[in-house]
Amino acid sequence: MSEELSRNFSTLKAKADPAPYFLSYEVTEEDFHGVAATLGAITRNGHGKSRRLDVCLRVGSPKLDNYHRVRGERTQFTSGAALTFEDRPASIKQRLWLETDRAYRLAAERLIKIRTNSEVKVAEQDASSDFSSEAPVVRLETVPKARFAADEWAERVRKLSGRFSDYPGILTSSVSVSYQDETKYFASSEGSRLRHGRGFARVVVSAQAKAMDGTDLATGETFEATDPGNLPRDEIIVAAVERVAQDLKALLAAPEASPFAGPAIFSGRAAGVFFHEIFGHRVEGHRQKDEEEGQTFTKSVGGKVLPDFLSVVFDPTRKKAGDIELNGSYAYDDEGVAARPVTVVENGVLKAFLMSRSPIQGFDHSNGHGRRQPGLEVVSRQSNLFVESSQAVPEARLREMLVSEIKRQNKPYGLYFRDITGGFTTTGRQGLQAFKVIPIMVYKVSPDGQPDELIRGVDIVGTPLASFAKILATSDRPQVFNGYCGAESGNVPVSAVSPALLVSEIEIEKKNKSQDRPPLLPFPTGGR
Amino acid sequence: MKRAARTSACATFLLLSLLGLAGSTLAQTTNDPLLRAMRDELSRSRGLKVLSLEAPYFIEYTVEDGESFEVSASLGGLISVRHDRFRIPEIKVRVGDYKFDNTDYVGSGSHFGTHYDIERFPVENSYEVMRRFLWLATDSAYKSAVEAISRKRAALKNVAINNPLDDFAKAEPLKKILEVRHAPLDEDAWSGRVRALSAIFDAYPAVKASGVELRALQTANYYLNSEGAEVRVPDNMIYLLARAEAQAPDGMMLHDAVVFQTLDFDRMPAEPELRRGIAALAGSMADRAGAPKGEDYSGPVLFEGIAGAQLFAEVLGANLALARRPVMEPGRNNSVPMSELEGRQGARILPEWFDVVDDPTQKEWRGRPLFGSYEVDREGVAPGPLSLVEKGVLKTFLLTRQPEQGFAGSNGRARLPGSFGANGAGISNLFVRATGTLPVADLKKQLIEMCRQRNKPYGMIVRRMDFPSSASVQEIRRLLSNSEQAGGRPVSAPVLVYKVYPDGREELVRGLRFRGLNARSLKDILAAGDDNNVFEFLNNQAPLALIGGANYVAESCAIAPSVLIDDVDLHPVDEELPKLPIVPAPDLRAEASHP
Repeated sequence: MSEELSRNFSTLKAKADPAPYFLSYEVTEEDFHGVAATLGAITRNGHGKSRRLDVCLRVGSPKLDNYHRVRGERTQFTSGAALTFEDRPASIKQRLWLETDRAYRLAAERLIKIRTNSEVKVAEQDASSDFSSEAPVVRLETVPKARFAADEWAERVRKLSGRFSDYPGILTSSVSVSYQDETKYFASSEGSRLRHGRGFARVVVSAQAKAMDGTDLATGETFEATDPGNLPRDEIIVAAVERVAQDLKALLAAPEASPFAGPAIFSGRAAGVFFHEIFGHRVEGHRQKDEEEGQTFTKSVGGKVLPDFLSVVFDPTRKKAGDIELNGSYAYDDEGVAARPVTVVENGVLKAFLMSRSPIQGFDHSNGHGRRQPGLEVVSRQSNLFVESSQAVPEARLREMLVSEIKRQNKPYGLYFRDITGGFTTTGRQGLQAFKVIPIMVYKVSPDGQPDELIRGVDIVGTPLASFAKILATSDRPQVFNGYCGAESGNVPVSAVSPALLVSEIEIEKKNKSQDRPPLLPFPTGGR
Repeated sequence: MKRAARTSACATFLLLSLLGLAGSTLAQTTNDPLLRAMRDELSRSRGLKVLSLEAPYFIEYTVEDGESFEVSASLGGLISVRHDRFRIPEIKVRVGDYKFDNTDYVGSGSHFGTHYDIERFPVENSYEVMRRFLWLATDSAYKSAVEAISRKRAALKNVAINNPLDDFAKAEPLKKILEVRHAPLDEDAWSGRVRALSAIFDAYPAVKASGVELRALQTANYYLNSEGAEVRVPDNMIYLLARAEAQAPDGMMLHDAVVFQTLDFDRMPAEPELRRGIAALAGSMADRAGAPKGEDYSGPVLFEGIAGAQLFAEVLGANLALARRPVMEPGRNNSVPMSELEGRQGARILPEWFDVVDDPTQKEWRGRPLFGSYEVDREGVAPGPLSLVEKGVLKTFLLTRQPEQGFAGSNGRARLPGSFGANGAGISNLFVRATGTLPVADLKKQLIEMCRQRNKPYGMIVRRMDFPSSASVQEIRRLLSNSEQAGGRPVSAPVLVYKVYPDGREELVRGLRFRGLNARSLKDILAAGDDNNVFEFLNNQAPLALIGGANYVAESCAIAPSVLIDDVDLHPVDEELPKLPIVPAPDLRAEASHP
């Protein structure tokens, strides 16, 4: 890799016009295992190994290069080409050479277009450079490889998934386990040489059903660890299967909710997703200089964006929260920059953005958040999000506060969001600067001490700035949400850690639903 | 017929007579949980009906139950190794009746509405779980069918159909349950072999990029329908592909591939033969890269050896299947490629000294296994030999259960998925036989003689065509848009094409394409050789049967002589060429010697 890097870089530098000023290769090696079962029968059991190559080649100068953001354009130079997973130099070198040549052609072509573009368009507001200077890093770590006991897991998921047989109302369900260990190799013309990586083990329990009115319902739980040996014991997964099944059963029987605006509590997990979606995506650095973006916070550095008692930190170097391993941890980002904690909001005041090596006004350097899925271009992405609160109260107290807020506002009820699966947020200027998040388990909380009532068929909607102002207090018990976040640069593993939140007002609307009936014939029995 | 996208590691199917296992067949039939689950749920599904809407009149369940092994390598390094155990169900429901149903409408086959988030079909024999899966999939297919027929009826309010044809032909329900046995394939040995074969290219620096891949599939195809058909047949295939790319000094990109394939794992060529074939590919890439660019040519062309069989497989084979124009809302564009032979039954399409027979029942020919043989097609119909052309006259077409003008029933040629709820027809083993043939050497003499008479400086010989195509998707797109402008089906480019001078000397040229070559050109065949070239290939729905262009393939074969055709136009590629890389290729031989 190093040999081919210097050979290609020096030849191109000497002979090519425009000449490159930066070249890097990132190779992502993955060893993958996966087993899935439904109702006691294996549906998938496989393993594989792959290496993918991402080339980053920059022509022009750090001031203006082929990666320059032009409104409305999505640039793509790398292809994530498959590379042999064996250490065979001839095969690796040929692919590196071909991909470098491919990237160079695209890069040179785009730079010429950009130069023309910058002559005819009005000056962009953010005149910062296209590439930051960072000190090269040399570090070759030994990546631990864990053992995946495929046969044992097959037996376990068979048994675990069989538990769903007790719930005939559930149409489809599965229990799956997967493990991939990932090793990343990085070499750049600046002299960086890295080898690092980690494992991702995951158990996913999921179930789906269809209500009589056609609404599709789904519930699920996941467990993550770096080593499959640290995944939970069967008793814990069994309990999750039971919860997933009971939740779905309860949802099938739950009434459909009406649109409503009023006070609510987000559980810690739900609050984590909420923050990730509506806050986290808006502090990704590259969005601040794209003139197609809404730039919610671009000019707010030093200003108040959240209530005083809240701080938000992104920290990929933290591996655990309590005893739960975090999905968004890593040692180096995909541009070879060391991971570090970034305090984005301190006591309500915006301090920083998540940065890749694409500088923005006021932030000249990367803070190790340039990430991607192999085959896509790096942009700034979230890692482990931590919501920290100085106004934390015990959970029971938070609930009392909700009840008094319901009474104060004279509302018939409040809401409790236990689980949120994910959401969408429009950060582009052409769309509404709004978000929608998809809660799964939502309860009506009555002010007069009656038990909570589960409802279904709602989405949470709102606009970000208004919503943050309505956070009143938090609990003192952080919860962890581990997941994968999809955006321009693909899916990357992330975490969000937050205490429960009390908000004075949140709006829910009816969810778009399917018009189809549930299956016409009853579920098949007999004949065995 | 099988999915090429999946691959496998597997095993060998042994004929039951060899093992004396005749007694186990019946036992396996009655105990096969997959078959029972399919049978029981199919029978229950007949009762499907929504309120006022019609009940299904036909339901069919197909399950491909198999294992695949896939390995790929480049320059001595493995890129991927994959073993997959799979069951792929396909459920079709028809509502209405044989005359008028939910198919043959532009929206047929699309999924409307209900979609259950079904995990993959279980690969273990759990009767209950399999039934559950089939239950939900049938429900979803039924709802789509009901939606499609109502949209079709609505569309017909505004368009008049001349000569309405029935939508579905009846077929005799076939009962055929064959023994299916899996034996292990030595995956490690094949991985090693593929790795070693890919390293052959180390010695050919003119080859810019290369790769070798193997796919071995062992499948049992299950087919049941509500008319009573019950089929279980084994379907195995092993396929080794080597592909290579080179760039000529003027920048022209060249590509080519060589394939080894057989239905019977034990009859795969041995390693020395594989090596020879791949070395020949690498050598010819180097020769082509160094060859001059061809020029415009119009005149006689000799399709010699395998090129003759490729020509028939591509130009005749594809046009022997008909495509129906679906019912559609007025103003919509019909993009279905039509057969160039449509409506020409009873007319002469080849010289009168030609006969063409398609015969899937023939398993061997002159001691060589035939790649296009099969027992039952995708619609549960057992095929027989079919005489397509007699004394140059077109007698019939390759037919599925979708009725065509002038033909009512299937002849068991549904080999590929088709459009709008139907299946696509394809050849099996296509035998092209000519009488009054000449030794191949005499064909070349005749070509030279014709050129001499017409004062042409040279004639042309094609020895191999790019079919199935090894082109990139971008190149295929260019080819398609060019042929659309010219108004016809695209034809693959000649890969090995030679100028033949009056003194018999040959010169390899590159960068030529056919212009206007189509089914009508076959009428202009002047002479045929006394050779019989067996050309095997994986057919698919992609243009030029593009390698990897579609994930469902049909094993096919053409057996045909060399042919001399008059008035063929060849035209040099006139696209802009990419520049050569600025950085020269790495020195691979130095690397290979000290890994």
